[in-house]
Amino acid sequence: MDLKEIQNLIKFVAKSGASEVKLEMDDVKITIKTGSDSETTIVQQVPVQAQMPQAVAPAPAASAQVQDAAPAVVADENSKYITIKSPIIGTFYRKPSPDKPLFVEVGQTIAEGDVLCIIEAMKLFNEIESEVSGKIVKILVDDASPVEFDQPLFLVDPS
Amino acid sequence: MHIIKLSAIDSTNSYLRELASKKVLEDFTVAIAKHQVKGRGQIGSVWNSEKGKNLTCSVFKRNCCVSIDDQFYISMVTSLAIIKTLQLFQVPKLAVKWPNDILSEQKKICGILIENVIKHQDIEGTIIGIGLNVNQTQFKNLPMASSLKNLTGTLFDVEELLVRIVEHLKYYFEKLEQGKHDFIKRAYESLLFRRLKPSTFKDIEGNLFSGFIQGVNTNGALQILLEDNIIKEFKLKEIQLLY
Repeated sequence: MDLKEIQNLIKFVAKSGASEVKLEMDDVKITIKTGSDSETTIVQQVPVQAQMPQAVAPAPAASAQVQDAAPAVVADENSKYITIKSPIIGTFYRKPSPDKPLFVEVGQTIAEGDVLCIIEAMKLFNEIESEVSGKIVKILVDDASPVEFDQPLFLVDPS
Repeated sequence: MHIIKLSAIDSTNSYLRELASKKVLEDFTVAIAKHQVKGRGQIGSVWNSEKGKNLTCSVFKRNCCVSIDDQFYISMVTSLAIIKTLQLFQVPKLAVKWPNDILSEQKKICGILIENVIKHQDIEGTIIGIGLNVNQTQFKNLPMASSLKNLTGTLFDVEELLVRIVEHLKYYFEKLEQGKHDFIKRAYESLLFRRLKPSTFKDIEGNLFSGFIQGVNTNGALQILLEDNIIKEFKLKEIQLLY
């Protein structure tokens, strides 16, 4: 959760008229109180190892709305598409060698098992095969650039 | 051991990759070419080999238990298998220049090209390409390259070398499958070129610095002891060893 999201949350709670909202997610615990004129926000970072209760404490209706609102924005962009992510850290290549054609291009239909790209790590060349079939909507990384673990590489429209 | 002998082929790795996508291959199926016309090295580089004089081959291995994060162990196993084989043939001063160039007397005699097929976040299979300079004696415009013939003065039987290398690959892959990762890493590290010797490196900005190669981490990054007594880890394109 970034600062902007927290700020929006505070504004939302202030407008809602609720006096207090507690929110717990993965490793963040937020309490927002709007009892007086001033807003008090406590953001507490919880160690990842700690066993966090997954359920949100019973809270006023405002809290529930906040939770619904947040994923909705993400869903709007991504629900239709499947994101193919990098399984390893390495260098992303869109073709087997500079003089060869690209593995895939935007708009191209792909089938499960088609090679999408190569990710090179320590001189090991990993051909990444597609787990889905569909149409390539977007390629999110430039040829020959470094990629991190789990970094989104392709957006695929499965429909 | 299943050997496919090819008189001429563009690349044995490409051939075996294609074959593996069409039918189920036995582990350690080998494709060997008398003449590899378009041998590949790293992305965009080529591996040239004089016709009929060298070992240009690829070995297929289905993956059973190496996780994607441990893939550098495949590279270590391959380097080990080649060096252990060449030691049997009395090839002098063998070492691995990190991550996987095989040197003898500081000259490169063998290149390795490993290609993994990844599906569902897992390594399905691996194709290990080996280009070993055996009986070729002239290396035009390649002052750092050499061959077994140039280094030992004797001619070698290419196929005998292949059989021995595959035997060693089987041995080290078995160790890997038994989970003997430390054994493999230690054995690999003991063969690293310029290990524990004062060496000069060039970083990505072109700055020179000195340090001592210690070993590798499980991802294959090179660990170097620097002047201020700290050990720093470097990924592939971050440094170059000068020698």
